[in-house]
Amino acid sequence: MNTENKGYPNFPARPAPASSPFASAPPPGIPPQSGGPPTGSDAVGFRPFPPSASQPIRPFAPSGPPPAPGAMRPSQPSPFVSQIPGSRPPPPSTAYGPPPPPPGAAPFQRFPSPPFPTTQNPPPQGPPQTLAGHFSPPMSLRPQQPMGPPPQSMISGLPGANTSPSPADFNMAARPGFQQSMPPVTQSYPGVGGSQPSFPGYPSKQVSQPPPMPFQSSQGPPVSSYPPHTGGFAQRPNIAAQQNLHPNYAPPTSNVQGLVEDFNSLSLASIPGSMEPGLDHRSFPRPLDGDVEPNSFAEMYPMNCHSRYLRLTTSAIPNSQSLASRWHLPLGAVVCPLAETPEGEEVPLIDFGSTGIIRCRRCRTYVNPYVTFTDSGRKWRCNICSMLNDVPGEYFSHLDANGRRMDMDQRPELTKGSVEIIAPTEYMVRPPMPPIYFFLIDVSISATKSGMLEVVAQTIKSCLDNLPGYPRTQIGFITYDSTLHFYNMKSSLSQPQMMVVTDLDDIFLPLPDDLLVNLSESRTVVEAFLDSLPMMFQDNVNVESAFGPALRAAFMVMNQLGGKLLIFQNSLPSLGAGRLKLRGDDPRVYGTDKEYALRVAEDPFYKQMAADCTKFQIGINVYAFSDKYTDIASLGTLAKYTGGQVYYYPGFQSSVHGDKLRHELARDLTRETAWEAVMRIRCGKGIRFSSYHGNFMLRSTDLIALPAVDCDKAYAMQLSLEETLLTTQTVYFQVALLYTASCGERRIRVHTSIAPVVADLGEMYRQADTGSIVSLYARLAIEKSLSAKLDDARNAIQQKIVKALKEYRNLHAVQHRLGSRLIYPETLKFLPLYGMAIIKSIPLRGGPADASLDERCAAGFTMMALPVKKLLKLLYPNLFRVDEWLLKPSADHDDLNNVLKRLPLAAESLDSRGLYIYDDGFRLVLWFGRMLSPDIAKNLLGDDFAAELSRVTFQEQGNGMSKKLMSLVKKLRENDPSYHPMCFLVRQGEQPREGFLLLRNLIEDQMGGSSGYVDWILQIQRQIQQN
Amino acid sequence: MGDLLDWIISFLFLVTLLIIVIYQLTCLADLEFDRKNPYDSSASINRLFLPEFGLQGLLCLYYVLTGHWFMTVLSLPHLFYNIKLYVKREHLADVTEIYNTNKWEQKKRVYKIAHIALSIFITSFWLIHSALGDI
Repeated sequence: MNTENKGYPNFPARPAPASSPFASAPPPGIPPQSGGPPTGSDAVGFRPFPPSASQPIRPFAPSGPPPAPGAMRPSQPSPFVSQIPGSRPPPPSTAYGPPPPPPGAAPFQRFPSPPFPTTQNPPPQGPPQTLAGHFSPPMSLRPQQPMGPPPQSMISGLPGANTSPSPADFNMAARPGFQQSMPPVTQSYPGVGGSQPSFPGYPSKQVSQPPPMPFQSSQGPPVSSYPPHTGGFAQRPNIAAQQNLHPNYAPPTSNVQGLVEDFNSLSLASIPGSMEPGLDHRSFPRPLDGDVEPNSFAEMYPMNCHSRYLRLTTSAIPNSQSLASRWHLPLGAVVCPLAETPEGEEVPLIDFGSTGIIRCRRCRTYVNPYVTFTDSGRKWRCNICSMLNDVPGEYFSHLDANGRRMDMDQRPELTKGSVEIIAPTEYMVRPPMPPIYFFLIDVSISATKSGMLEVVAQTIKSCLDNLPGYPRTQIGFITYDSTLHFYNMKSSLSQPQMMVVTDLDDIFLPLPDDLLVNLSESRTVVEAFLDSLPMMFQDNVNVESAFGPALRAAFMVMNQLGGKLLIFQNSLPSLGAGRLKLRGDDPRVYGTDKEYALRVAEDPFYKQMAADCTKFQIGINVYAFSDKYTDIASLGTLAKYTGGQVYYYPGFQSSVHGDKLRHELARDLTRETAWEAVMRIRCGKGIRFSSYHGNFMLRSTDLIALPAVDCDKAYAMQLSLEETLLTTQTVYFQVALLYTASCGERRIRVHTSIAPVVADLGEMYRQADTGSIVSLYARLAIEKSLSAKLDDARNAIQQKIVKALKEYRNLHAVQHRLGSRLIYPETLKFLPLYGMAIIKSIPLRGGPADASLDERCAAGFTMMALPVKKLLKLLYPNLFRVDEWLLKPSADHDDLNNVLKRLPLAAESLDSRGLYIYDDGFRLVLWFGRMLSPDIAKNLLGDDFAAELSRVTFQEQGNGMSKKLMSLVKKLRENDPSYHPMCFLVRQGEQPREGFLLLRNLIEDQMGGSSGYVDWILQIQRQIQQN
Repeated sequence: MGDLLDWIISFLFLVTLLIIVIYQLTCLADLEFDRKNPYDSSASINRLFLPEFGLQGLLCLYYVLTGHWFMTVLSLPHLFYNIKLYVKREHLADVTEIYNTNKWEQKKRVYKIAHIALSIFITSFWLIHSALGDI
């Protein structure tokens, strides 16, 4: 959504773009004062906004200990900006822009122009469009049924109104000055927003804002009708600040202040005159723009770490336990400590050298941008525990007149929310380990038959050059079927020596070392081994799998150093310790109290092994390939508690899945990995992280042990308040990840973030972040499914959403007649939809027939580790139509987002004349409509375009259209390299493939026993209204 | 005289049981306050699973054999609960999830302690009663 910077350009007092606070900072040579702000004790050179008397609720009184930079920003504009439900970036401004309105704005033009009788003398401060918006029908009615003074609406409804010079131009003429000074206000006006044609495909956008009934009577002169806008701000504490900045604005009339609500609503009553008894589901909010990060907050606190590292579920922390208990949504954070950074935003690396790392003596907080220096630079105050610490001599720097350190600009740890610190020897219990990759490969008959062995061997070989940590990297292999095969890879050998151990009960290593060797020294032996591996076992007919003993053996090899263990498992473990039964998909178990047991490890061996591996810094990634039941629930446990992940390729065939395995294994081997890591989150006094959710093991109450962690893993945690009342005005969070980098350096990655403490539930809702809430919900639901029935897990999610929305309704029900409308805060408009998506996601959907047990568990393990953005994409995948784009000879296929519009995930979005792509980040489905022009199909598929598509391989055909599509697919894959989405082709009507690949994932439709989007909303609404 | 011996023996059983459960509880509390790591904590708890469950079972059997029906009935819920835990395979502390289950594990043991304490109270009453009665 268009929140970036929109809120600020109109404030002349702002020195620089908020996102780069130090862009205007002086170069090192110049004394900081010259660039620094003349006023205030601001620590980083922000000119504090003139504190206004009307900021009592804001937690940032200028007297507060750390004068938080940016805290004085004139409120949080973005909630307003984002009031426009689902609007796409361009419309709001273009709709009002002086040039002739673009066609996209046409529907909007229905309402804006109706001028009041009083437009003869329009005051410059009364933006006419706000008036117009007032009379405009959108409020609780559909645009087709205009309300308000009929004549004007009719006039405005005429097409000519768009071009007619009289009213429309007049509006524009009156606007320019205003337009430049107040863009955000214009956009934020809720009524106008509500009437925007937000979804191009849905001109009949229904209600998004509650009717501003209060104004109907008070609309007289434009000045008093202008208040809807101010009213929008009225609940904001610092409306006065706004006024100061815009002196040409008439002061808001008090009678309307506070009357405009800042919630959105869906009218759920049936539409009069419409044939359908239901409601217009096309107006429901949909996250068609993807995940929207809470930008406003990042701008308000520019020194916070980026939201890709840390996302709070709400950026306003409740100040009391009672308030926290009224906030029924989860209170917590999602942390992705090593998230990939775009070019140019790398985390700065700091070496404190002999000074030692600067940390608080009491709470061990790392020095960060929010600490304050006092006593002319000799002491610093910890922002988390307020302890006064000494500044070491080498770190000393004089303070300038503003209490700011002179050397601020050379110290990234004092200006950036994310830094990486080189850790001295005190942070090591042993010398930093080298990167270690150990492979445990199943070589039984199915592994060779499916071609898995060959693909794996080739891929490992091709990645040898790119394994991180050259020249220290170590590597080793064990293969197993009914026996274990060890390989001596001593560098002096020319061929690896294979040793077979048949005693599975009492595992021993046939050789003390040389099972794990330095890659650079033994490179030729390793390559020789990988070359011969597929051949060695190609005639193997062994069907057994001594998985448990093999795992033990690998553990014995690795436990000196730790490292990453990659397991390639092809069948159900059948021999030795940890053998598993075919407990399978017994449909009778579903719905009983024993159902959950299918989803947890069957044998305690797995949990114990996982715990031991974590203890010895071994991270496990499981690759499972079988088409039969392999008990991913048990195998995945190994990955879950060692911070790894599960890759599942059901029914692996190298011709089909080879590419996917190749890419994902290569990514796994070559991505930057942090070894032997531990992570801890510190937060201010009075709050505490109480539970953690994700793939890891806790080593102590708040220390997450991560033997191997990389950029594709995220962890969620929940907060709880320990004190009944928080007295501080802000809360700080500091994520610290201590790890060994592949290069052998011990490092600490520190992310620091600040959030205000509020006393108002409404503010919490305004600062909520749907993405991280959904991420936490998904994890909670999956965890719940491990100890309860699927039904219970689903109901729990539904109940939580209902409670949250009910509380929100109660918040507003006092002042407003809400009728049968579902109201929700703007920030949470997608919450119901995502909630439904969680319920319909693979781990939780339906019953035994809807997803195989292995599929469920694998998806569950994967979702527990996914970062927010990827999870949201998986929950509400992209669907777009490409045939028109393919036919267009356009050259602009770089800008995919503009060309390809995401469509709602419903069967009615699919046109049988079209070609659609469904992309959830894990697979791409190309859906060919039945009536798609044969030319397109032929161009894309070659001569066998009429064949059944399951047998057609998707490859480039050597014509422009095919190239274009391939480049699109490539681009979609490159967007997110963490998984390699496989391409599936399906034609309309090809059952059951179509249902399985696509129709079942169109989550807005009703399927099986689960409800569609409309029913879901109705259900929630019904439950909210029940008391 | 035999009665007195019965009570003394069952008293000793109960006290041992109480000590075991209290020890487990302290392990869990140590874990909560970060004085112990999960590996050691769960290992020491799990080491005592067999003695605890075994003693409790033996005690019930002893009550039955000696014909103390009231005490049998009193200790049956505990026995059934133990059996249920064993059948559901929740009798061992799970090292991987011990932080999430800690609260519940502690609660479980507090209830056990309460139950054992009640039994000890009654036993000691009868113990004294039969001792005095013999005089």
